[in-house]
Amino acid sequence: MSEPMITPCTNLTDILIRRHRHVLLEIERLTLPAGSFTGLIGPNGAGKTTFLKLCCGLIQPNRGTVYFENQRISSRPFWRIAHYRRSIGYIPQQAEYNAHLPFTLREVVAMGRRGRKGLTASLDRSDYEITDSWLADMGLYDRRNQTFRSLSGGQQQKALIARAMVGQPRFLLLDEPGSNLDPTWKKQLREILDRLYAAYPLTILLISHELDLIPDSCRRLILLDQGRILTEGSRRQVLRSDLARRLYGDRPDTGREA
Amino acid sequence: MDAYFLPIIITGAFAGIGIGLLGVFIVGMRMPFIGSCISHAAMVGAVYASLWNLSPTAGALLLSMSASAGAAFLPPSRRNLDANTGQAVLLAFMMGLVFLAVGLEQNSRSEMLSLLWGNVLFADWGTAGITGGLTIVLAAFTALFNQELKAILFSRSLAEATGPYAKAVYFCFLCLCGLILAVTLKAVGGLLIFSLLVCPAAAAYQICRGFRAVILTSMLFGLLSTTVGFALSYSLNLPTGACTVLVSAGIFLLTSLFQRLAQ
Repeated sequence: MSEPMITPCTNLTDILIRRHRHVLLEIERLTLPAGSFTGLIGPNGAGKTTFLKLCCGLIQPNRGTVYFENQRISSRPFWRIAHYRRSIGYIPQQAEYNAHLPFTLREVVAMGRRGRKGLTASLDRSDYEITDSWLADMGLYDRRNQTFRSLSGGQQQKALIARAMVGQPRFLLLDEPGSNLDPTWKKQLREILDRLYAAYPLTILLISHELDLIPDSCRRLILLDQGRILTEGSRRQVLRSDLARRLYGDRPDTGREA
Repeated sequence: MDAYFLPIIITGAFAGIGIGLLGVFIVGMRMPFIGSCISHAAMVGAVYASLWNLSPTAGALLLSMSASAGAAFLPPSRRNLDANTGQAVLLAFMMGLVFLAVGLEQNSRSEMLSLLWGNVLFADWGTAGITGGLTIVLAAFTALFNQELKAILFSRSLAEATGPYAKAVYFCFLCLCGLILAVTLKAVGGLLIFSLLVCPAAAAYQICRGFRAVILTSMLFGLLSTTVGFALSYSLNLPTGACTVLVSAGIFLLTSLFQRLAQ
């Protein structure tokens, strides 16, 4: 019997990333199907962020190829992968952005529209209408003129999700969005991701070392350790594995706040 | 006003505005290591060109542009890698190269020392024209690519991941940075130009609430630093770089005081 056809969003083939003779990531073959919600879990230093940066095209593999919608995106000049950049929504770790700058919340969220514009085109009224509607969606519209730095960590994460969504992405990548958030904010974040996944045609890749951040709609988990995929499959399958038990305890899926 | 003094003031004004504007991005991106690298590379280029009887500006341009291009290809995640250690080592290395050149100079050392400390006498109409032209190009560049630059400032990795042109804009910005620092280096002085890059912008970030206000205020502080510094240097016959940087550091101290009192 033939396997069902899967439309791939991203394909990784024979990937090797090495720094100073140390293997950061080694993946023989992996497909993220279009429209899937995948969670990438693993301990600190497992290679999760390297994996995500590879998918974003921020780092190039020493060996292997990355495809996005069947087109090669690795080792290509930036002007050849413009379509890919416009399709990405990326929420980086806190250390990756300069929250101290005096940008207003509206300015930060509107930055997400620039990929949809020409290089020198300025944002127009329709861009700000889309920005404002996403601010309202995240419950931040009343704070739109506040500086980004004056917001709490949870509000900043919501703003970054809004920033990603104003660009109308097809592939949403989140790197440890719940770090430093309290359980209430984590719950809100889970609900937002569930809602976005249900409402928009998105492929989502969520990286987290905390299981309580993985939303219900995330049906597939990949467990990474020392740069290699140890196991992948349904949430239940992965969390039953020995390493998952060692990392997250005997009943790893019950640590979530209600 | 003395006609001889006019190109000095015009050069100072444009250099202050241009470096003030550059500083907003260098300080905002928290990449003093790169700013320091470019400005000190320019100084080494100028000093060795002078030693070999070549144009100091050409030498400064060559090395500062090379440093800019190198910095543009440094991955975002590594730009702050061991920034303090790297900066200290780089500074020591550059200083070693510069003082080696001073030691190797057999004839008059005055021009070489002027390159280190700055000299208003270098600010003729030609320098004023080039500095003015480059400042206008920089202002036009930042206005034209405003959205892209703001996104890079907020997060370079995020801007590069989701913006098709972020890498190209960042590269062009650093090249402009190298050009402006190389051209103004002779007047301000290689040892202190980096401070001029940092002080006005850091002062503006302390007291302004919006990003547009930061840009305008940093340009104003840069303008004040260089014009007052050049005027003091000219009238009191003191090193230009020292006067300029002391004025800009004074502005920074005053804004710190103002901010503390306002709290």
